[in-house]
Amino acid sequence: MDETSSISFPSDYPTIDPTSFDLVVLGTGLPESLLAAAAAAAGKSVLHLDHNPFYGSHFSSLSLPFPPSFLHSPPLPPDPSTPPSAPSPSSSYAAVNLRPHRLYSEIEIAGSSPEPSKAFLLDLAGPRVLYCADETVDLMLRSGASHHVEFKSVDANLIYWEGRLCSVPDSRQAIFKDRTLGLAEKREMMKLLKLVQQHIGSGDGQVAATAEEAAVGISAEDLETPFAEFLKKQRLPPKIRTIILYAIALANHDQDNAESCKKLITTKQGIESLALYNSSVGRFPNAVSAFIYPIYGHGELPQAFCRCAAVKGALYVLRMPIVALLIDKESRQYKGVRLASGQDIFSHHLVMEPSLQVPSSVSHSNTVCEGLNDSNLIGYAARGVCITSGPIQQGSSNILVVFPPKSLHSGQLTTVRALQLSSNVGVCPPGLFVVYLSTPCNDVILGTEYVRAAMNALFIVPNSDISEGGISTSDEVTEGETRPTLLWSSVHVQELTQASFSAVCSCPMPDENLDYRKILESTKQLFTNMYPQEEFFPKHSTSENAEDDSGSSE
Amino acid sequence: MATFGNNNLSAKLVLLGDMGAGKSSLVLRFVKGQFLEFQESTIGAAFFSQTLAVSDATVKFEIWDTAGQERYHSLAPMYYRGAAAAIIVYDITSTDSFERAKKWVQELQKQGNPNMVTALAGNKCDLEDKRKVTTEEARAYAEENGLFFMETSAKTAINVNDLFYEIARRLPRAQPAQQPAGMVLADRPVDRSRASACCS
Repeated sequence: MDETSSISFPSDYPTIDPTSFDLVVLGTGLPESLLAAAAAAAGKSVLHLDHNPFYGSHFSSLSLPFPPSFLHSPPLPPDPSTPPSAPSPSSSYAAVNLRPHRLYSEIEIAGSSPEPSKAFLLDLAGPRVLYCADETVDLMLRSGASHHVEFKSVDANLIYWEGRLCSVPDSRQAIFKDRTLGLAEKREMMKLLKLVQQHIGSGDGQVAATAEEAAVGISAEDLETPFAEFLKKQRLPPKIRTIILYAIALANHDQDNAESCKKLITTKQGIESLALYNSSVGRFPNAVSAFIYPIYGHGELPQAFCRCAAVKGALYVLRMPIVALLIDKESRQYKGVRLASGQDIFSHHLVMEPSLQVPSSVSHSNTVCEGLNDSNLIGYAARGVCITSGPIQQGSSNILVVFPPKSLHSGQLTTVRALQLSSNVGVCPPGLFVVYLSTPCNDVILGTEYVRAAMNALFIVPNSDISEGGISTSDEVTEGETRPTLLWSSVHVQELTQASFSAVCSCPMPDENLDYRKILESTKQLFTNMYPQEEFFPKHSTSENAEDDSGSSE
Repeated sequence: MATFGNNNLSAKLVLLGDMGAGKSSLVLRFVKGQFLEFQESTIGAAFFSQTLAVSDATVKFEIWDTAGQERYHSLAPMYYRGAAAAIIVYDITSTDSFERAKKWVQELQKQGNPNMVTALAGNKCDLEDKRKVTTEEARAYAEENGLFFMETSAKTAINVNDLFYEIARRLPRAQPAQQPAGMVLADRPVDRSRASACCS
């Protein structure tokens, strides 16, 4: 990260003026930044703080050394013993110290850090991409954030099948050209695509909005059945089913396993995903696949929304931790925050990033702080970040690879996803590649094992002690010679915490998905919860974001 | 608008400098020919664009203002990215703002784009009687640091256009492709024809 400005000695903390806002936002992750921008666009006065010297919180893209220190240690200055300026006894509010919550564990680094460290920009929330036609893209256009970020197309979508990588036939042309599919298989897949296309609005590329629209050709009953069952009924062969479930509908859990039945996607969801995928292919002339990746990494997205917020008047202060919430003694309502500088700031609403929590001892007796406990935890994601000497597939730049359940070994219950990026998205020096991997998990050990198994399948891993016993990869099937060498890697486990809704909002962590749909959904809910009267980025606001007086020139 | 063959440049220009030095006023004067005595801290636009014709080329500036994020030293790296030019603004009636301008120069040098055209603008030069920073001092500093220097007044329009023309003149004509170029999202569905994203 090239954020190198003034050092943050406590004495350096600036005094913030004014001291009262409609909304205070702590942390600059994507959900927090979206909320700040949406509130500012709705005319609210916003103070946006981050204790880090950089933008993005858990959604940032950072230089080496990676992971940054804040993964290892809690975010707050560890000196609650010196609460700056205790409130006078006559004060009408009490200060409740915030408790930092550690969201990352099992951090393990291997290999020597490549140089120059500044040439790398590594996503904390990877692997992640945007569908060309998803709502995040629309929101960027609507808010004006799209002015600040450029994208590159993901070139290919690959699936690990029987020990080798095959490309995912995801369009008519791709199905037609695919040499690994038989004629009958091609016909079945075309049939399904046609079915899906009936669910896409008449030519305008929009996903069918209502269930009725989506139901053309598929019975309502079928829509509620598991998608995996539906595909079986369509008599699709196993490989095609797997491709559709895990590489196109992006299922994260084994769809043929009764144990993960909570995670089974319904036919309705499956068809919607297929429709979104379908309308994403070809939405932008320069995007060759359904997915795009932001140049310089995902950390650009929060920065773009923060800039939108700033343009609408939000106030920005980095390197400013908060130490306590101010709670009204009478009503027990949230009143404001105490900054590390000792300054008290008041606001109607507060949005916090997920690594800050109110101590449960306090929150139990305190209605305001409900929902800020560990109950937000819904699972874990094991994530790997790799730097490699070459591409996974010869000549490739930016590609997605999916390891469906059971593809790495028979006990594998979740999908492992990998995203390879090249220097053409500005995240590494030419010649090297960055590969992100992730899988959702309930058991952190198992999760990291899956990630390592996928790393072993993709790369030549110099020290075999990295590959932990028990997992055999299909080395002999993959042509070992073409695999790139793993130069450096970092594996860690991240808690998946949900958004929580109350007078104090807590934002979600990066989730286990490849895209932002779920995060955007809960962010919108947080916004509506705070401002039921306001629209989340109204459609008409686009025009004012750029002033163009240049007349006709292009 | 006339074009000169292929000599059409597009350049991102960023403004830096202390709050109140007159960054937004300079832009408004240049782009709209306006001056407001009490300009608000933020101007409500992500960027302005303005095209200038210089002798051998047409330069389309995309001018980025800080949107107030400089106030607590919280500019995002995104702000500097891909900038071909920068104007560092100080107020000639404030030595503090000149000292802060030097900090911005250092900050910019850290961003490490050696081809960036950097200008130092001593603004509010209409306020001669309140002057605290001498022209000589500022010029000497600019020369030492490879900046070009002008004193401007957004209020009276002195040197404002000249400043931008001079930047346009100095921009390297063949811009090195050191920045990875990507596609810009554009709000036009495919079926409404026209290429919606630029080069890749």
